Amino acid sequence: MTTSLLTADARTTKRNKAEARFKAYGLGAIILAMVALVFLLGSVLGNGLSAFQQTYITLDVTLPEEKLDKSGERDLAVMSKVTTIGYAPLLRDALIAAIEAQGIETTLSKKDIGNLISKEAAATVRNRVLANPDLVGQTVTFDLLASGRIDGYFKDRVTMESAALDSNTSPEALMIADALKDAGMVATKFNWNFFIWADASDQRPEAAGLGVAILGSLYMMAVVLCLALPIGVATSIYLEEFAPKNRWTDVIEVNISNLAAVPSIVFGILGLAIFINFMQFNQSSPLVGGLVLTLMTLPTIIISTRAALKSVPPSIRDAALGVGASKMQSVFHHVLPLAAPGILTGTIIGLAQALGETAPLLLIGMVAFVREYPAAFSPDAGLFGEPAVALPVQVYNWTQRSDPAFFERAFGAVITLLVFLLIMNAVAIYLRRRFERRW
Amino acid sequence: MEDMYHADRATSTMQDIKISAKNVQVHYGDTHAIKDVNVEIADKTVTAFIGPSGCGKSTFLRCINRMNDTIDICRVAGDILIDGEDIYDPKVDPVQLRAKVGMVFQKPNPFPKSIYDNVAYGPKIHGLARNKAELDEIVEKSLRKAALWNEAKDRLDAPGTGLSGGQQQRLCIARAIATAPEVLLMDEPCSALDPIATAQVEELIDELRQSYSVVIVTHSMQQAARVSQKTAFFHLGNLVEYDDTDKIFTNPEDSRTESYISGRIG
Repeated sequence: MTTSLLTADARTTKRNKAEARFKAYGLGAIILAMVALVFLLGSVLGNGLSAFQQTYITLDVTLPEEKLDKSGERDLAVMSKVTTIGYAPLLRDALIAAIEAQGIETTLSKKDIGNLISKEAAATVRNRVLANPDLVGQTVTFDLLASGRIDGYFKDRVTMESAALDSNTSPEALMIADALKDAGMVATKFNWNFFIWADASDQRPEAAGLGVAILGSLYMMAVVLCLALPIGVATSIYLEEFAPKNRWTDVIEVNISNLAAVPSIVFGILGLAIFINFMQFNQSSPLVGGLVLTLMTLPTIIISTRAALKSVPPSIRDAALGVGASKMQSVFHHVLPLAAPGILTGTIIGLAQALGETAPLLLIGMVAFVREYPAAFSPDAGLFGEPAVALPVQVYNWTQRSDPAFFERAFGAVITLLVFLLIMNAVAIYLRRRFERRW
Repeated sequence: MEDMYHADRATSTMQDIKISAKNVQVHYGDTHAIKDVNVEIADKTVTAFIGPSGCGKSTFLRCINRMNDTIDICRVAGDILIDGEDIYDPKVDPVQLRAKVGMVFQKPNPFPKSIYDNVAYGPKIHGLARNKAELDEIVEKSLRKAALWNEAKDRLDAPGTGLSGGQQQRLCIARAIATAPEVLLMDEPCSALDPIATAQVEELIDELRQSYSVVIVTHSMQQAARVSQKTAFFHLGNLVEYDDTDKIFTNPEDSRTESYISGRIG
């Protein structure tokens, strides 16, 4: 009996069903992953985007000479003796004057009115005055940083109900803020200072920024790139192209694979023991952080570089050797250029991994509160030897703080970190496309 | 050196002996791949190695320019002399040897670079050209000899990998002869080519015979019969029979050779 091709037999039907089921599973997995991603991004962006906006109060501040420069000579050495404590009352008085001028009635004490302005604002004004002493004696318009509670009020983080229970602010203060806003004296601007300012204490979350963390991360990436790339690529070339295949190279290979899977905190303990306790490098310094991350990144770079070298067809090596190139010439003239896209991609993925690494940095003290910018070089600490923090550690640090304003900043830092990672991955894709050669 | 050359000449018969292998043994790990091969290959002649797959003909070919050195587990014993000099002498640098003994591989393997750079690479690393003009001349000469000049002269900057299969293989031949070798080894150079490209390469091989000693490994007995003057038949690592091509194909002495060329083994 012949079977018709127009009707599917039982076996075929069964196979087709199995195939359809398998496709559905795959699609389901992808949809699940996409939903998780959307949820993650939604929560990060929802919580963090407000960190890139900041509330300012615009005030005309009188800068009286008798308070700021008694000598009247505009001598910076003398003027800098007036600290922020000398400036803060000026700002408070300016705010009280503005409130009276607007006809806003309040029962709030002078001190509480002063608290509408961030403690950081006095430092900002002082820096402006010291940079330009001619301002003394004039009345100057400043955009003054509003305090974290006022900022939170305009971002819906602080409400009248929560303010009633809060010892740092009151519904009264928020009503003044509302009135000031109606008078056009409150401005919400893009928060450039978030990327410039250093970390700030618990009392002034509105002044906390990522400047030191970004710089610390960049220093560490520089150390990792300068050490891990040459060492990793040289190791891979030697192991892949030159080393004899024997028991020793097998042992080395297995160990490299194992190192790639070692929990990163172990590298932190290693760094603490070797670089800080034994070699006496500075704690919290990007140098030590970079060295630890180098150790952590090396296996990744070695493995991806070896894979890239392996993927170069042996016929190219034969061709080079066949015309009388030495082993080294065949590697450097032919194999390495062909493997370059893979090596670069691996390196950038390794760097991205290092950029997001937190655990080992906690152990070497990079979780410290750093208020000052680190110098790239300092006479006593050497290159990258001054204390700094890193982006992921800053996130960890901020999530530990009690003030909810830091919560928003932590998510802002997460967004910044993600943007850096996206940029690095985009560079990896670009380089891959740019250098890829077909044969 | 000079004396040795003349002495060598005197001992050779009708044609000069270019390559002389004595008791060559090759081991891959525990496998005995080549068993006691003795062969004398003449200059300005095409010598074909035929035999079933895995018989060791390619392995033996790769011994002649020491390409087997790159395989860790491969050990070569015995002597291979080129112009009377032992190429496995510790004083011999394989890099110099390979400039003298060019090789063309089974699959066309041009570098992913321009046609010009493909041919110029060998002369560059061996310092055969003192300036750009000389290099240009070598490139042109090599491409002409490889019968590729007319097709490639207008696109020397185009990537070599963009050529057709037959053109790529001729480019590889041009690359091999650019270093002015004395011996040209070809490992199944036509197995990846269509019949027309094969015919072109075969024609080319016949011309190359004027200047080089050519050794070609081939699976096609017709090809061996067409291009070679001498044929060696390998079987299971042994050199079974080595004689004039005409004799091998018409009146082989060994029964295994006869079985192979008549298609009964292989």
